[in-house]
Amino acid sequence: MDGVSASPAQLSTVTPSSMRTLQEIHATLQVAKLDPAELQPVAQCLSFSESFSSEDYCLLEVDDTLCKYIESGQSLTIRGDLDEHAVLCSEDKTFDLKMADTSNMLLIVPDCRTPNQLASDSSTDQLIHCQIYGFAKSYWELKISRPKLKKLKKLLMENQYEGPSSAKERNSTYPKYTKEDLMETIQASEQEIMQQLQLIHACRIEGYWRILEFDYEMKLLNHVTQLADSESWSFSKIPLTICLQELELLEPREMIEHCLNCYGKQYTNEAGKVFYALNEDEVCKSNALMLLRNAVKFNLSEFEEVWQQSVPEGMSTRLDQLEGVALVDRNSRPQVIFQLNVEDLSESTQERFNSLFHIRAKWTEEDIAPYIRGLCGEKQTIGTLLTKYARSSMQNGVKVFNSRRPVS
Amino acid sequence: MVRIRIQPHRSEGGSGPEWLMSELQGEIEALGHSGLPGNLMGDLHFSTEGIPILIIGHHILYSKISHLERPFVVLVKKICTRAGAESAIETERVEQGVGEESASFCYHVTAIIKKKIIFKTHPKPIITNVPKKL
Repeated sequence: MDGVSASPAQLSTVTPSSMRTLQEIHATLQVAKLDPAELQPVAQCLSFSESFSSEDYCLLEVDDTLCKYIESGQSLTIRGDLDEHAVLCSEDKTFDLKMADTSNMLLIVPDCRTPNQLASDSSTDQLIHCQIYGFAKSYWELKISRPKLKKLKKLLMENQYEGPSSAKERNSTYPKYTKEDLMETIQASEQEIMQQLQLIHACRIEGYWRILEFDYEMKLLNHVTQLADSESWSFSKIPLTICLQELELLEPREMIEHCLNCYGKQYTNEAGKVFYALNEDEVCKSNALMLLRNAVKFNLSEFEEVWQQSVPEGMSTRLDQLEGVALVDRNSRPQVIFQLNVEDLSESTQERFNSLFHIRAKWTEEDIAPYIRGLCGEKQTIGTLLTKYARSSMQNGVKVFNSRRPVS
Repeated sequence: MVRIRIQPHRSEGGSGPEWLMSELQGEIEALGHSGLPGNLMGDLHFSTEGIPILIIGHHILYSKISHLERPFVVLVKKICTRAGAESAIETERVEQGVGEESASFCYHVTAIIKKKIIFKTHPKPIITNVPKKL
């Protein structure tokens, strides 16, 4: 090779583009004082392809799971809003998408082979020509993220479903969303969106996903529990067919069934009959929300009494059923309880901590846990979040957490 | 919201063929005015023990083959028209760039890179009288 000079930081290449021959390869080895006997017989000559550039393609860094997902032939979607950063969604996960730079050059050589891949039977010297397709100095980095799903409830709340006979239903100007509409506007995977819809008790009515007005949802629930009571059914053995038969005069079958699916679990007995087992905790929780939503603060002991009376006979209320939806203040006289729904708090970690410390200056870990659990990233625990976003101190022998910054 | 699809490779292995990557420290520059495209870079040999040796210009670089903990998927940008639509409006939108709804381009999974050859050791210069003709 001739005409080459380089400083250690710079490697230069020759200009001739003619195909090198085996003879030239060997001559180079001689000049480099490398003994061909110590080398494998196949040499690969690398040259830059005619279309060598870094423009038309990019590199996406994936983990093992995503690698297998792609290898199975599934597609991915990048979702990005104008003011939001971009995310990458598989069928069931959401990843934050970020550009990462490398200080080194990454050359892409499609046909280059490692010793394992080269024919080991060949003992004669061979030369393979390989093209360098392109290079990269950056790549896309993925980090698994909590999808921003709060927007979903917000959209559906614009037009709550109050029942089939509601005047609102006849008015077609209120916004309604299909699954496709939601997938076009929420930065999350399909499965995560479906799971969230289930969580907020959304119902698919005439092709559109609707959230039920709370009063209407409670009306449906009360129909079911009152019927169970009058028929002396166990709450864990509500027969679907009879339930629908009795209640379809009051409300559409689909709505009764939706209610059963929200508040219970379906199963089939050996005879093939379908039953529902009601979830006591969910029923009690909704009854509590019914009571709390109209009061700023409720006297705790009064509340507990009224609450127990409001739930179907045979069900037991417990304060831990209200984790994440209500907060008890044991320091006030009298002790009070008020609604604080984690669903209504910000999805941004810093903002959420700010709101929580605004509501209460000092929190025990037990009280704050339900409100920050959902913020934990892939390798974070409640402990690590508290270490990062709060300051701890001791109060009456109990460890409490307060804000790191002055709360306005 | 902009939605860009990443389409899997058309063959059964959705990631396409496996390619190799070479990682180099520093920059590569071409002498003369022809630039890099179409030009030679260097000779790649493997020692009998499998150690990669790259000869670039007057330098020898020793390296190793490393397995990528996180593989790279090579994505190639392609224009993707919506099913059937090849109308002028479609082309116009493509020329304008990203539209309001789904973007008019998509990425195709072209290959996967699971191994790389890292040339990290400082290049050893070949110091000798280089004959004019080889």
